[in-house]
Amino acid sequence: MSLLRGVRVVEFPDGLVDLGGRLLAELGAEVVSIAGVDLERPQARRLAWHHGKRRVRVAPAETDRLAELVAGADIVLDGRLGGTRHGLGELSAANPTLVHVVAVPFDTAGTRKDWPATDLTLMAMSGLMHITGDPERPPLRLPGEQAFALTGIQVATAALLGLRARRRTGRGQRIDVSAYRATALANYREPVVYEWTGRIGRRTGNRLVRGKTGVRQIWPCADGFVTWSIIDNPGMMRSVVATMAEHGAAGELAEVDWEAILVADAPEATIARWESLVGAFFAAHDRATLGDWSLARGWGLSVIADPDDVRASAHLAARGLFVDVADEETGRTARLPGPLFRHGAGEDAPPRRLRRPVPLADAGWSQR
Amino acid sequence: MTGPVGALDGIRIADFSWVGAGPRATKDLADSGATVVKIESRRRLDLGRRSPPFAGDPKDPDGSAFFAQTNTSKLGVTIDLGDPEGVAVARKLIAWADVVVENFGPGYMERIGLGYADLQAIRPDIILASVSVAGRSGPMAGFRGYGNSAAAHSGHAAMSGWPGSEPHMPPFAYGDVVAPMVATLAVLAALEHRDRTGQGQHVDVSQIEPMVHVIADLFAAEGLTDKPGNGDPVMAPHGVFPCAGDDRWIAIAVADDVQWQALCRVLGDDRLAGDPRFATADGRRREGSALADAVGGLTRGWDRHRLMAALAEAGVPAGAVQDGRDVFEDGELRTAGHFVAVDHAVLGTSMMPAPPMRLHDTPFAVRPPPRLGEHNHQVLIDMLGLPEAAVADLEARGVLA
Repeated sequence: MSLLRGVRVVEFPDGLVDLGGRLLAELGAEVVSIAGVDLERPQARRLAWHHGKRRVRVAPAETDRLAELVAGADIVLDGRLGGTRHGLGELSAANPTLVHVVAVPFDTAGTRKDWPATDLTLMAMSGLMHITGDPERPPLRLPGEQAFALTGIQVATAALLGLRARRRTGRGQRIDVSAYRATALANYREPVVYEWTGRIGRRTGNRLVRGKTGVRQIWPCADGFVTWSIIDNPGMMRSVVATMAEHGAAGELAEVDWEAILVADAPEATIARWESLVGAFFAAHDRATLGDWSLARGWGLSVIADPDDVRASAHLAARGLFVDVADEETGRTARLPGPLFRHGAGEDAPPRRLRRPVPLADAGWSQR
Repeated sequence: MTGPVGALDGIRIADFSWVGAGPRATKDLADSGATVVKIESRRRLDLGRRSPPFAGDPKDPDGSAFFAQTNTSKLGVTIDLGDPEGVAVARKLIAWADVVVENFGPGYMERIGLGYADLQAIRPDIILASVSVAGRSGPMAGFRGYGNSAAAHSGHAAMSGWPGSEPHMPPFAYGDVVAPMVATLAVLAALEHRDRTGQGQHVDVSQIEPMVHVIADLFAAEGLTDKPGNGDPVMAPHGVFPCAGDDRWIAIAVADDVQWQALCRVLGDDRLAGDPRFATADGRRREGSALADAVGGLTRGWDRHRLMAALAEAGVPAGAVQDGRDVFEDGELRTAGHFVAVDHAVLGTSMMPAPPMRLHDTPFAVRPPPRLGEHNHQVLIDMLGLPEAAVADLEARGVLA
């Protein structure tokens, strides 16, 4: 039995709540998604965020029928990126046990409450773009739609907090989730650094700057890239240098007492010499070899995997992450992430397909 | 503890996690009303307490603002888990708890006799949440790494950066943000399941897997061969444009032709509005480079916040590219309670982030983080009922250190 089997969710997707509904569906909830603005989004996003849900179309004259559907739900995920839809308004009064999660771009009591927003504009305001990218180029966002993703996870969390509170009080409640705040919360470093030091971070490319100097984070190797940095972790440094020494590549690194020095305070020229030795060593080996050494010897190095590598990962295959998802709208099958985490409850996966929207009349709830 | 009733009032959590990936999850749960007891040791100090920025002496374990922000609303005890008597005290906490959270290296909990089977023997319906880079099973189960490791193994690093460039690693560990959010969700789902079935379980959260989930749209895209950068398959313009000042920028995302016309109107360029190359979204995407030059030439003289407001008023999505100071000082965030002023014995009154939501009937309450060992007596004597003399003896012999 899946974790949330029997929990009923109605979702009004808009980008902000879509991943939230997907997470609840993956955990076993029955999620009915009301097709609307999602139909205008690229097919890849529809497929990624809506597989495993039941999708329905609502005609303008079906307000009463929609109200019946909502009345049978435990949770409503009410995405309001484009404002209120279907006359939802305040649902809690008519449905006192309902957990009504309303996702908005900006706080509903603030001066920006009616401002339009997209994933890009929310990311910009979060402070994360300011430090992402290269110093000589414009700020850059993270891949995908991370403001929407962060909001979606908070939406699912809000829904389960509401369920938990309902179990104790017997009442549902309204919960407002702010996408701007959800995205800004992910910026866990820059605001607190400013508060305590007055320093404002800037883009540093692939150099990680801590203390007086920066260290390289991305390294080319024989068949791609790996990530690793010279840092103040003596055990890790000794392990990497020992392997380099086995291959006659350690040079002056073999003489460094890693317990006695502080990398963050080392002169830039010294770091540059050390990085030159490491760079030559990494360039002479492929990702598999470096990754195996890292796993066996505790280097903390990771290979950089592109999406095809990730799909082909033996580790992720062993954990059952990727599943085949059939897209009923296009007829193609895609290999997408399925389970969120491993757990002891029985496997009771949602249907691995993106279903076509059906008329609301055909969309009653399943038996609990 | 007093205050308004929280959503998780009555839930008890024994939190063995440290640094970022576990503590952020238990912070969410503690702010929501759960009683979270953080188990630490002076002998193996939480590296979060060593993380800048500091108020005063970096050697003061209670002076890290990073630690404080990551551990609000928790109680804190010190127990030496390397001492069998310390483990015995930890077992009493586990008997008290609904949920145990840990993010130690692989095998550590088993080695000290606190693996999942041991926990079940203490409390059969216990929920154990483990957070690690690669999860507790599979060929990489023993992998030791950091939040950035998850970015590498999930495809994030490869897909970050400008199109055609090498992979990019921003200077923050996004895996340490996403994974604890999913761990919070996992604990809440496991509690719901326990309440309906009476069964606890072990939830095993890998940092890599949630990072894959949040870019599922890239995995679903056919023929994706390069990094998306700031581009979008539909909207145009969709990018970042210069504004007045050093390193000042604005993000603008135009969804349709109406918004395009509104953008041109705000920027005051009728000629651009009538340019046939940019009349449709297809045209604007096709002429992306010329479009960026044209829009960037017009935004360059604007203050980024003024332009953001003007565009918002005209219905065009726009966001000033804000830095850490902008976010910290944002009046809207302050008004919304995004940062809460919390009193702390070492930090003084300082701002702590709150969960980004408002529960109308069961509000959050962000309370101070624990000083090292601050609640030893409250937890061990008042909550667990250990005799005062026994606690004093354990303290004297360094077991509670």
